Amino acid sequence: MNNLRQFIRSFGWPRIIIGLFLLSLFIIAPFVGVKVSTSLSDTIVRFGMNGVMVLAMVPMIHSGCGLNFGLPLGIIAGLLGGTLAIEYNFVGPVSFLMAIVFSTPFAILFGFGYSKLLNKVKGSEMMIATYVGFSSVAFMCIMWLLLPYKHPTMVWGYAGTGLRTTISTEGYYLHVLTNFLQFKIGKTFMFPTGMILFFALMALLMWAFLHTKRGTAMTAVGSNPVFARASGINIDKVRTLSVILSTWLGAVGILMYQQSFGFIQLYMGPFYMALPAVSAILIGGASVNKASILNVVVGTFLFQGILTMTPSVMNSMIHTDMSEVIRIIVSNGMILYALTRKSEVTR
Amino acid sequence: MSILKETGGQKFLGIIQNNAVPILFGIIVLIGIPLSGYSVGYLGQEIVVRIARNSFLIIALLIPIMAGMGLNFGMTLGAMAGQIGLIFMADWGIVGIPGMILAMIISTPISAFLGWMCGKILNMAKGREMVTSYIIGFFINGVYQLIVLYGMGAVIPIKNPALVLPRGYGIRNTVNLITIRKTLDNLFAIKIFGISIPIATMLVITILCIFVIWFRKTKLGQDMRAVGQDMEVARAAGIKVEHTRIVSIVISTILAGYGMIVYLQNIGTLNTYNSHMQIGMFSIAALLVGGATVNKASIGNVFLGVSLFHLMFIVSPTAGKNLIGEAQLGEYFRVFVSYGVITIALVLYEVRRRREKARGGRLLAQEQAENMEENT
Amino acid sequence: MTRIVLSRRHFFQLVAVILILVLAVVMFVIGRQHTVLLDNKTIEHDGKSYPAFSIVEVKINKEDSIELAARDRDKADVMGQRHKITVTYTDKFFEEHEVVKNFKVPIGYDMVLISIPALVADLGQSIWLQQFIPPTAAVAPVVEELPVEDDLGIDMGEF
Repeated sequence: MNNLRQFIRSFGWPRIIIGLFLLSLFIIAPFVGVKVSTSLSDTIVRFGMNGVMVLAMVPMIHSGCGLNFGLPLGIIAGLLGGTLAIEYNFVGPVSFLMAIVFSTPFAILFGFGYSKLLNKVKGSEMMIATYVGFSSVAFMCIMWLLLPYKHPTMVWGYAGTGLRTTISTEGYYLHVLTNFLQFKIGKTFMFPTGMILFFALMALLMWAFLHTKRGTAMTAVGSNPVFARASGINIDKVRTLSVILSTWLGAVGILMYQQSFGFIQLYMGPFYMALPAVSAILIGGASVNKASILNVVVGTFLFQGILTMTPSVMNSMIHTDMSEVIRIIVSNGMILYALTRKSEVTR
Repeated sequence: MSILKETGGQKFLGIIQNNAVPILFGIIVLIGIPLSGYSVGYLGQEIVVRIARNSFLIIALLIPIMAGMGLNFGMTLGAMAGQIGLIFMADWGIVGIPGMILAMIISTPISAFLGWMCGKILNMAKGREMVTSYIIGFFINGVYQLIVLYGMGAVIPIKNPALVLPRGYGIRNTVNLITIRKTLDNLFAIKIFGISIPIATMLVITILCIFVIWFRKTKLGQDMRAVGQDMEVARAAGIKVEHTRIVSIVISTILAGYGMIVYLQNIGTLNTYNSHMQIGMFSIAALLVGGATVNKASIGNVFLGVSLFHLMFIVSPTAGKNLIGEAQLGEYFRVFVSYGVITIALVLYEVRRRREKARGGRLLAQEQAENMEENT
Repeated sequence: MTRIVLSRRHFFQLVAVILILVLAVVMFVIGRQHTVLLDNKTIEHDGKSYPAFSIVEVKINKEDSIELAARDRDKADVMGQRHKITVTYTDKFFEEHEVVKNFKVPIGYDMVLISIPALVADLGQSIWLQQFIPPTAAVAPVVEELPVEDDLGIDMGEF
């Protein structure tokens, strides 16, 4: 009994409720005519789509910068990379690689500036990160109109300038990872091996990095800055590195998303993308200053599971799609829960 | 010695830095006005309309700032309560000023409850009130949608078919508020130099301003300022810190609800699922443009902010069109500026807080050095 | 028996709440919008016929007056329950008459129908003022509208 209580306390009520909710959805599904195999397959695909973006939260949490509400900045770097790859006419799998290559310098540049700002405002990073994200999205709205892109698939046909709001990745990097080594079980279950492998690679690299000297320094800065300073770690430098890493992962994350989703969404597209990623990692058991790769995997799976299951199950049960409202309540409720944990207020 | 002394130049620089945001904005507006080609009369009328429309909402932000809780992004909660009041008012067919008053009465308990909840949560998240109140806004928006989009017409009776979605439940995207449109503004309006001034609305705003000024001097207001200065000192002085903080948020939320009703009576239509979401962001941006900071805001900031921010708002699409030939650009520009201003103001506040600490240290050192000189 | 002790503070709070509730009810009554339909049609009552006027001018409270030809129907939106109606008509001797009546709309009625000929003939309010319930016409199915999101506040031009 005591053990159970201990477990509940360490795991947190919201996570248990969300887990049970998802479980009940999977149990109800067959009774209301929703195929579990399809849902599971969809969940895995969406897991692959969003996993890297959730992973992008890890470095900043580790270095004590809190939840990266400024993820849109990284996403913008990714959007620049993706559009540049198309602009220079790279096609097929190469375009995906080139998109990452193109987005890297932007991610480093943006991340560097972003980190300089965050180092000036230690203690209120999250609020400022949110607004850095928003203002960069608004700024890029102007830039998408003005930047001299020329490729006919991307610009508005009649004007010849200004990028479209959505650009198809078909013929470029659409499904390059999803289809890599993909296999099917039965008619309805599809496993996107390439995507999962790519995510696993990123997660492994992240894990390995956290166990290098720099990685442990990062964790030290996050968990005990006074001790870190005393042992001669340059806190600002470590934080800068973590922000750049986070931004770059955000860029790669959005490219992963697009290769599966099929469209590059410009303008307002990246606006609220930070929130799902933030709540996913929190659902996985992370807190404002502690996160592991396991949190990422569990959280993304749970969150995306709910996102896939609720619309289909709800629709067949009560003929109303309440999934959007449920998503809003669950994800923001989770963030609120994490922000109000007393034990974690110490930074 | 000379390094320690604060020179006149440094003082001047300090003033510039302390008012960087309004100055920057003044410059943007000064460049934008000739580019847009609007006449002074037109702009003057627009400013008057917008001061009447938005000041109430922005004043609602002042009290939590006083209590040291920063910018209350949770004012969207009050806005939602106000909108629920308006929906009921429209459904029951109550019109005119009585309709507005009834909507306010309906919104009050909802605002008070939401504000109390928000205050409770913020007490659990001391030190990051702003980001928390921001997320509370999102969270309650989910609950609001659940109630308005699924509950109303299904569980909560709504009899007017003009309000309900064709599927039989849920409120439509837009609710027509023609029955209260400009009733307060037109109750008593006079024309000065061709600019019509809604005296009644201005009077309401004046009363609110007097209330805020009076409130600062009450016991509760003094307590709030003490809590805002230093929570621990206030606690030691016997002030109920948590309670005081909750009360400040409750008052702010209720006022925001009333402000939303005043705002929507001028607009005349309610965008059921959008009106409240951006109102917090724009109100906060306007307050910051007026030179307010996270821990200091006055009524003067409100009116300067509304004027400058809305001049930019009116001018930028046309200026963008005339400059580059794209109105869309100007619209993106003003959104960018709104977000940018909040970002800059938040960063400046943090930086200034650090510099203030350093300056305090420097002044102390200077004083001590002078004392030493006197002694020798 | 425990006595309920009402402290001064609670007493005032209770009074304040009651006052606000009373205010809400008052607002509900005086702010209620009613639609008044003005009907200039020949009406039969007790076997007698009251013919419609060829032209009649009707004014409710201090609003602009409405002109009605025979068999016309028009409407006016009014706020609150008590109203004054002024009917101006010319009889067959080309003499102008003005009839002024005060009436009260019951709170539950959304729409009332006022028959002008019956009013002028002074038949009593229960006859010339009646509740009107609009017939529910079959409406063509409307396309489902769903909430639109405006994330950036681009449509806030009216802010």
